[in-house]
Amino acid sequence: MATIEIPAAKISFECPPGDTILRAGLRAGLGMAYECNVGSCGNCQFELLEGKVESLYPEAPGLNERMRQRNRHLGCQSLALTDCKIKLPMRDDYKSLILPARATGHLTAIENLTHDIREFRFRLDKGNRFLPGQYGLIGVPGVVGARAYSYCNNTADGAEWHFQIKRMPNGKASTALFDQLKVGDAVTLDGPYGNAYLREDAPRDILCVAGGSGLSPMISIARAFAASEKLKGRKLHFVYGGRSGRDLAGEAILRGLPGFGKTIFYYAALSNPADDDNWTGRTGFVHEAVKDILGASLPEHEIYFAGPPPMTEAVMKMAIENKVPVAQLHYDRFY
Amino acid sequence: MKTIPLCKTSDVDEGTAIKVETEGLSLAVFNLNGAFYVLDDLCSHGPGSLSEGYITGENIECDFHNGAFNIKTGEVAEPPCLVPQKTYKVVMDGDTVGVEA
Repeated sequence: MATIEIPAAKISFECPPGDTILRAGLRAGLGMAYECNVGSCGNCQFELLEGKVESLYPEAPGLNERMRQRNRHLGCQSLALTDCKIKLPMRDDYKSLILPARATGHLTAIENLTHDIREFRFRLDKGNRFLPGQYGLIGVPGVVGARAYSYCNNTADGAEWHFQIKRMPNGKASTALFDQLKVGDAVTLDGPYGNAYLREDAPRDILCVAGGSGLSPMISIARAFAASEKLKGRKLHFVYGGRSGRDLAGEAILRGLPGFGKTIFYYAALSNPADDDNWTGRTGFVHEAVKDILGASLPEHEIYFAGPPPMTEAVMKMAIENKVPVAQLHYDRFY
Repeated sequence: MKTIPLCKTSDVDEGTAIKVETEGLSLAVFNLNGAFYVLDDLCSHGPGSLSEGYITGENIECDFHNGAFNIKTGEVAEPPCLVPQKTYKVVMDGDTVGVEA
């Protein structure tokens, strides 16, 4: 067991063997900055002042050469080999509302949603709750390193974690999940993580924008919206973007929610519909569709979005250009 | 509108910045050739602290993701930052650097 000290904040915490410095700090309730938790975004970097660490992912894209030269390490990928002293930004608003914890999950069901998106349902030995829009880490047997996947369900007791997962071409984890994992098999689970969770106190209508793998957290938010007492009387606009007709997803789930067509609205845009799709709906990118659907009322919405990096970048740019206050934009950057 | 005193001119060497936390604000105070500029310290893009960044000419490069802002205007100078950094109107009173807020 290593002790990690943050001298500037006069704080220290224990980092058990096998846990990473960021995750152990978050489990201890500390307000440490992070976003993706899988080595890509760079937000959890710290400066190593004293001690020795080992990286689970030495070539992680979240650090460039200059950062490495400044003795920076990624908290989400660093194991402590000795007691350490580190320097990093700490803020109260980085604290986790629900402390992340590790558990074992058994696969109880699989459902196909599109040609490359499947819902995987796990039952946990030790449940932990999460907020709609957050994500958990799945450790897949035989695959090095955990992967971040957003939840699609809501849970009162945390016993069920459901994920809508997109098969990534050449993705080791998604390939193992899709091709090898069978009902009854076990995975390691860790969570919840993420800052793009539903703000029930925000006094605005809601816009959810999803593409591909971003379906899952937006579905979780829409389900929570439908069940929320606090959000009664508000509207939720759900805009989904895909390439062609076979990518379309989400509408059937939203149709099953109370309020569909009255307070919950679904829209889809296809960027490259196939000839045999006979598509008569919107064409183009999802951020263009959003602008067209909401027009001048865009800044009056609380905006949640998730999907592939080019899509989330485009949504973010479009929202800022259209004067949406940054505090109303909620997403986790996985790159 | 009131003036919030932040520091003495001698607290910030030329070509450097310091962080000042006061009245719920977290600010970066820059000294460029004897002229003072004040921006929000927390980078508009991520968790980086601009007062710990690298000054090149009129730009401050955040040491978290290597994005940069113009110190005088707060405009984005280098990605990945997208949102301009908030700037404050500097008010000098003798050797005291303050801002209107």
